[in-house]
This record gives sequence, C-alpha cells and structure tokens, in this order.
Amino acid sequence: MADLKGPDKSNRFEFIKQGVSRVIALGLGMLGGFTAFASRRSNTVWQIDPSKCVQCEHCSTDCVVSPSAVKCVQSYPVCGYCQLCFGYFQPNAPELTAAAENQLCPTDAIERIFVDDPYWEYNIEEDKCIGCAKCVQACEMFGNASFYLQVRHDVCVNCNNCSIAMQCPSDAWERVPADDPYILKHIPRQTAGLRIAPPQFHV
Amino acid sequence: MNNKQLSIVLVGIIGSIAVGFLTLLFQIPLKVTIKKRITDYEAEIEAGNIVIDDGSKKKTSVESVTIEGNFEKFDGQPGETTSEWPRFRGADFSNIAKEDVALAESWQSGGPPVLWGPVKLGEGHSGPAIWKGRVFIMDYDEEKQGDALRCFSMSDGKEIWRRWYKNPIKRNHGVSRTIPAITEKYTVSMGPQCHVMCVDTETGEFLWGIDSIEEYGSVTPLWYTGQCPLIEDNIAVLAPCGSSLMIGVDCATGDVMWQTPNVDKWKMSHSSIIPMTLQGKKMYVYCSMNGVFAVSAELEDRGKLLWKSHLWAHSVTSPSPIQIDEERLFLTVGYGGGSMMMKVTRQGEEFVPEVLFELTKKVFSCEQQTPLFYQDHLFAVLPKDAAALRGQFACMDTDGELVWTSGKTERFGLGPFLMADDKIFILNDNGELTLIKASLDGYQRLAQAQVLEGHDAWAPMALVDGKLLLRDSKQLICLDVSRL
Repeated sequence: MADLKGPDKSNRFEFIKQGVSRVIALGLGMLGGFTAFASRRSNTVWQIDPSKCVQCEHCSTDCVVSPSAVKCVQSYPVCGYCQLCFGYFQPNAPELTAAAENQLCPTDAIERIFVDDPYWEYNIEEDKCIGCAKCVQACEMFGNASFYLQVRHDVCVNCNNCSIAMQCPSDAWERVPADDPYILKHIPRQTAGLRIAPPQFHV
Repeated sequence: MNNKQLSIVLVGIIGSIAVGFLTLLFQIPLKVTIKKRITDYEAEIEAGNIVIDDGSKKKTSVESVTIEGNFEKFDGQPGETTSEWPRFRGADFSNIAKEDVALAESWQSGGPPVLWGPVKLGEGHSGPAIWKGRVFIMDYDEEKQGDALRCFSMSDGKEIWRRWYKNPIKRNHGVSRTIPAITEKYTVSMGPQCHVMCVDTETGEFLWGIDSIEEYGSVTPLWYTGQCPLIEDNIAVLAPCGSSLMIGVDCATGDVMWQTPNVDKWKMSHSSIIPMTLQGKKMYVYCSMNGVFAVSAELEDRGKLLWKSHLWAHSVTSPSPIQIDEERLFLTVGYGGGSMMMKVTRQGEEFVPEVLFELTKKVFSCEQQTPLFYQDHLFAVLPKDAAALRGQFACMDTDGELVWTSGKTERFGLGPFLMADDKIFILNDNGELTLIKASLDGYQRLAQAQVLEGHDAWAPMALVDGKLLLRDSKQLICLDVSRL
C-alpha cells in the first residue's frame, strides 16, 4: 500500500536550513576570497626590473597608452655628469651641442644642463619620452648606466592585462607593491620578498 | 515546493552570487592611482636645486699653474731591477715584456703573492713606469688638489720623492690617466689638464714645464688628458694639437726644437704618439680627434708633416696606432667606431695613406686599450657594443678575420692586458686578474684571481723581473708572477 503521508516537514526544514547555511558559507567564502584577491591585486602594480631589461624597444611600441607609460628615468647618484654623454649624443656627433642632428633621442626628451666645469646634468622630460630606450642602451654600454626604464604610474592605466609584460623577452616585468612602485637603481628595495637592487657605484 | 524545486532555487541563488562576484572580479577595471613622481623637476627648479644653464655662461676660471710646484722627499730607497718598463706600452711600445723570466702558469687560490701594496693613490687610471728600481706614477693628490709625479721604490713600494703642483680640478671619471716617460736623465709627465713637466729622473729636480693650454691653445680632452709623453734622443715628443700639431722639446733646456703647424686645427685625443718606420721612413704617428697623421722623426726633416688622413676621426679615441709591417698600421676605437687597416705608400718624397679595410664594432675593436700585436695577430678585449662578442677576448689576423674569441662565459671589461713569457694577463674592471696562454690556437685560461678590490681597474700594467704592477682606481700593488 502506498504511503499516503505528505512530505516530512521536519526534513524539509532541515534541508532549507542546511541549504541556506551552505549558501551563506559559500558566499562568505567567495567574498573573502575575492576581497583577499582584490586586495592583493590592488596592492601590486607592474614595474620593470632594470637589471633584467635588454632595451628591446617593446616598451615604446606595445603599451596601450600612447605615448607609452614606460619612460626613461635618470639615477643622479649613478650618473657621471659627463660633457659627452653617450645616452644624449649620437655616436660621433659633429658637435657637443643640443642641435637635433647631434642628439640620440628621437623626441628631444633629454634636457642637457651645464652645472659646473666639467659637469653636465641630464634630465628626462617625461612628457616627450616614448620609452624607446635608445639612451638607456647607450648609457649601459658606454656610461654608468644611470638611464633606465620604469613604468610611470602617473601615466599607466593599470589595466591588469599589460601588453608589454606579455612581450618582454627578458622577464623584466614584475609585480611590485603599489606603495613602493619603483625599482630605483640607487635605492635598495625595502619590501620583503622582492629582489634588493645591487649597490651602484657613484662616479 | 518540493526538494527538487528548492534545489533549483538554491543553485540559482548560488549561481547569481558567483556570476556577480566573477563580474566584479574580471570586468571592473581596477584603478590604482599613484601620483608619486620620481623627480619633480618643476619643484626642484623652483626650489633652486636645479639651475637651468645652457652652457654658454663662462665656465670656472682656470687658475694659472706653476708647474715647478713643490718637492717632497721621503724615506723610500730605490730597489734593483734588471730590465725596465720606461713608458706607455714598455720599451718597444709593444706592451710585451721581452725579458727572459719564466712566469707561473698557475696561482694559489688567493692569486700571485703580493710583494707590496696596496699603495693608496688618488682616483685615476694612470699606469706605472719602471726605471732602475724606481716606480714612477702620475697621480692626483685630492687633499692638496695637485698633480703629483710620485717616485716609489720597486723593492717595497715606499715613496722616494714626490713633485707636485697645485691644479684644483674636479674628478671626472677619475683624474690622472697618463704614464710618464723615463730615461736615464729625464722624466717627462703630462698632467690631466695638459701640463707637461720634465724632472731629473733620480732626484726629481724640476727642469722645465709647459702649460699646453696656455702656450699652445690645447683643448683638454673629455675626462682629461690621456696622452702619454714620449722621449727619443733626449727630445720630448708631444702632441699639443693646438697651434702646433706636434712639438719636440729638448729635455735638457726645455727649448722647443721643432714644431709641426696645425693648419687643420685638429684636436688632442686620449691616444699617444707611437714611433714607426713605414716605407723606410721613421715617423711619429698620432691619432687626433679629427684624423691620423705622421710627422718625420728623422734628423734632416724632423717635425715635417709626412701624411695625414681625416678618414680616422672619432669623438673619443683612446687606443694608439699599431704598426703591422713596413707599410701597414692598424687603428681601432670604441664607442661604435670599429677598426681600420691603413696602408702608407711612398711616391717619391710623398707619403700617401689609403684605407685597406674597415671593420665594424661587431667584428673587432677595442674601447680603451691598445691591442697586442703578436705573431702577426692582434689580440684585444672586444667592446660592450660588439653584440654577441661583447667583452670577449679575441684574436684576429691582419686580414680582418677573427681566429678565436674567449667564448660567452669568458668576458672582460675596459681593463688592460699585457703579454709576457707567451702568456697574457688580462685585468677586469673589478680587479680580477686572468692569465691565459698566448696562442693562435684558441683561448686557454691558466689562472684567475681577485687581486684588487676594484673598481675601474683600467690603467695599463707594467712588468719587470717577473713583478707585475697593477692598479685599480685608487690603489697600486706589486705581484710576484714569476715561477717560484
């Protein structure tokens, strides 16, 4: 004979109770996970490790921002302040003047300032810099390597899908803490877990 | 509502929440705004920390220098040597020690025994010269702000005497970078700002001086003078490249015996004058910034310009020319300039230079040091811009064909190399000394050791009686590299 009794109400209540508990637990878990992930994401940004950069020029061509959010920066304690700066002048420049034909930078983004004989100071005009790294390469080869590339976080849109990082041939791109977003040559990194930049001599 | 319906509702709720989270996770652009700038130039300029100057303002005035300066005597005593290293690249300009002293083929882990040193020096790249138990080195005394010609004992490194003159200048990748020329009677030095000083070799007594900038209108090369003086037949041969291209000065009197006019206004480089005999004619060859030229070194027409070529013009020229044979000379530079093999022919009384071939920086060139020429082959450390060959030690024949390189695991910097006893010493920028076999068959490392603290160990080395003198930017040491 068939059981004519309806559904067991106590079982249904237990089922709903357990189900809601599980949904809440799952939701809290996902919320926690998302919060942790989002927090981690929000606390790190992309940056270029200068010791790994090979000046391939992808930084100038592959950024979603135009001109690129990657700019050359100058490490003043590392710079030799040379009258003939190989990062500034074309090889065998006819004259050591700021005339366009003498300059290596294609966008005139390096400012050359006389300081005191025999020193000259070189500043990057970041609005003009396109991150082509021509100056960086020359400075690395023939100078003190005081020019190097960094992602400028006042320009970068932090799209989390960095097209340059995907193209970088030397794994120079890494995530760094957002509150310490630059890998500066003359300042050792304080953040645990990140590589400490090697000390640079001052010439 | 039965269990099935409840399940559907719950799955729906879970799904909605998951979709919501995933949407948040992947679709909302996460904006991290960092306004921090590495250097705020406008603020720095406003604060006066950066002064805009186009360089047209008058530069720091150069004080008149009294080259005789001051003399100091110390308690060092001359040592004993059986051979000499009397100038840049040694007695015959080859940078090859010809003495018959067997050298060690391997070293203890700490490197060859240190005979003396380190002797503290002013920051620079000037190498030592050795004469009769004495070591001469051009230095810069940072405390006294003076160029100093210093004489040390070869036996223990103690200073014997010092003659220095006040010349306040700022360091510019070091200060001093020349090697004095030594003879029995005379020692001639060239300071960082082209001050020439001649003294008595034994006593350090001042004989005469020339301020090349003041007297000849020389322009000090970038990073200061690298030209090492030459003495031949008691005549100091110098290339002021001002009003005169080259001059000969009687060491005894300081009288200018001959001078070559500088009609093209060619400028001084970091290279040094090398005597050569090409097409049967003895001549002094010099690479200026604007071209290479040769001046007669023979008595009947000494000082006469024999030939010149503007085809070897580079903004920075450090290596000196190398004679290959009776008609060819090899030229090289760094900073992307490459190399050139030049031939000089004689047409009657005229000498005509021509380019045989040129080599790019990726084939063979050298940035700061002059290559070795041994068994009809050239040896040098290739420059940083030599692509895959960067920093490798290389051997090349005189047709411009590479014979071997040291390989990608054996790279060097801008430091010097010197040959002796069929071996080559190579000093790296960081003070690491490597000993290799001098061979046309390939690179064979014999020994390697960290012998100096570094950095910028760029000065040419000197070797006498199995004792190697070498320095980094701030200290000089003497190593026993003989076979013990």
